[in-house]
Amino acid sequence: MTAIPQGGATYVVVGGGQAAAWIARTLRTEGFTGRLVLIGEEPHWPYERPALSKAFLQGTGSVEAITLLNPTLAEEARVECWLGQRVTAVDRAARIVTTADGRSVAYDTLFLATGGRARRLPGLDSLPSDRVHTLRTLTESERLRGALAGARHLLVLGGGWIGLEVAATARALGVAVTVVEAAPRLCARTMPPVVSDWLHTLHESHGVRMVTGVGVAGVTGTAGGIAVTLADGGRLEADHLLLGIGIEPEVGLAAAMGLALDDGIVVDAQGRTSDPGIFAAGDVARHPNAFAGTSLRLESWANAQNQAIVAARAALGGTGVYAEIPWFWSDQYGVNVQMLGLPGLGTHAVARGTPEAGSGCWLMLDGSGVAVGAVAVNAARDLRVLRKLLEDGRAPLPGAWTDTTTPVQRLPSRPNVGLD
Amino acid sequence: MTEWHDAAATDALSDDEVLGLSIAGVPVALFRQEGDFFALHDLCSHGAARLSDGFVENGCVECPLHQGLIDIRSGAPCSAPITEPVRSYPVRVVGDRVEIALDR
Repeated sequence: MTAIPQGGATYVVVGGGQAAAWIARTLRTEGFTGRLVLIGEEPHWPYERPALSKAFLQGTGSVEAITLLNPTLAEEARVECWLGQRVTAVDRAARIVTTADGRSVAYDTLFLATGGRARRLPGLDSLPSDRVHTLRTLTESERLRGALAGARHLLVLGGGWIGLEVAATARALGVAVTVVEAAPRLCARTMPPVVSDWLHTLHESHGVRMVTGVGVAGVTGTAGGIAVTLADGGRLEADHLLLGIGIEPEVGLAAAMGLALDDGIVVDAQGRTSDPGIFAAGDVARHPNAFAGTSLRLESWANAQNQAIVAARAALGGTGVYAEIPWFWSDQYGVNVQMLGLPGLGTHAVARGTPEAGSGCWLMLDGSGVAVGAVAVNAARDLRVLRKLLEDGRAPLPGAWTDTTTPVQRLPSRPNVGLD
Repeated sequence: MTEWHDAAATDALSDDEVLGLSIAGVPVALFRQEGDFFALHDLCSHGAARLSDGFVENGCVECPLHQGLIDIRSGAPCSAPITEPVRSYPVRVVGDRVEIALDR
C-alpha cells in the first residue's frame, strides 16, 4: 500500500479501549504524520479487557500487563490522549468533535471505537448499588474484586462467557457461586449443545450451582445482600449479584450523527461507515463476514485488534480488508477453551481426542457436512491449524479428524463444501 | 559454571514441532528447526499463555492466545501485540540427548 503521511491533517479516535489504541498505534506505525487525538471516556489508559474477568479479577494480574498505551508510548507516538472525556457531539458538516467539558477538535478523518456497555435489568436502580455488579471496565473489575474478598456467595445472572469466567474466578477465591441462566443451556446463543453440556458439568464439578431454563421474576435488596425471585417461584440469596447478560453496542453518538446502524455501526470490510470519512472498529462495528455469509458484530479480543488495524490502514489508503474467521477464547479453572467460526450453527460434532475430559477439539458440521466451526479444549494448536485450513476453504476429512495418531497439520483435507 | 540439564531425546520432536517441558521446575518450550534445537521460557511475554501450545511456522512460534509471533531462535518479538522478548536458553546436543542450560 502507499501510506500517505497526511502531515497537516488531524485524525481523531473516539474511544479509549483496545480498538481505539490499535487504531492510534497503527496510524503511526503506518506513517501518519499529522495530529492524532484519542478521546476516551474512561479515566484509564487504553487496555485489553480479557483479564478483567480472570487474572486481574483474581488479584494476580496488573494494570501494566494489560495497558496498550501508557504515557510514555503515547508521547513517543505523539498521540494526544484526552482521557476521562465524554464526547457529546460530532458535527459532521463542520467536522468538529465536542466533549462534555467543552473542548473541541476539528478532524479530517474520524474513528469510532466506542465499544459497548454492559446490559442491565430494568428496575434494578432501587437496589443497593454496592451489591450489584457489571463487568466491562477496569474500575468495575476492581470493584468486584473488592466485593468478592468479603463475600461468601455470589449470584451470577447470565450463563454466557463473562458470567462463567467470573464464576470460575470466584470459585478460585473460595466464594460459593450460583449461576442463573434463563435459556435451557449455557452459552446457547453461540455454542452447540455438546459444549453447553460440557461447560455445565465443568462448573458443577467445581462446586457451582447451576440453575438453567428459569428466568428471573424479581430482584430485591435484603439486609445483608441481594435476593432473586425466579420465575418458577424459587428464591436465591447472595451477598453480591453480577449481571452477565451481554453488552449493548455504544451507538448513541453514531445514531445522533445519522450513521447507518444495525445492532452496531454498519461498516464495510475496511471499517468504513456510511460516511466515507468516518471509520468504526471493535465491539461496536458490524462488518460483512465472508465465512459467515452475513454481517457480524464480534465482541472478541481478536476483532478489536485486527479490525482496528485494517481500518487505520484503510484511512491511509490501504487496500487490505478485514476477512477473518471469528475466533475467541475463554479461560475457566485453568482450562483454555478456544472457539472458531460459528460452532453454534453446527448440528453434528466430531470430536478429536476427548474435549469433554479436558483435551481435544470438537469440529462442528452442519446438516450438509460443511465445517462451520470448532471448539477446542486445551488444544489451541489444533484450532490454529484448523483455522488455516478453513481460511483456505478446506476442512479435514471427518473420518481423519478423529485419528489422534496423526498430527493435525498432516491430516487429509477436502474442500469445505457440502457432502452429498 | 554452566549447569546443563537433560531435556529430551533428539528424536522426541520433529522439525517445526515444540515440546513443553519442566526443567528443574522451570517451564521450557523446546523447538526443533531444520535439525537444530532452541529453547525458550515457556510463557508468552504478553499474556499468560504457554508457547508450547503455540503453532510453529517460518522460524516463529505463534502465541496460542494473542496470535503474536516470537522468533524461536532468539525469543525476539516479531509481531503485535508482543513487544517484550521471551528469555531464551542455551541448548546443546550430547549424543542422542538434548540438554538445556538455565543459568543465564
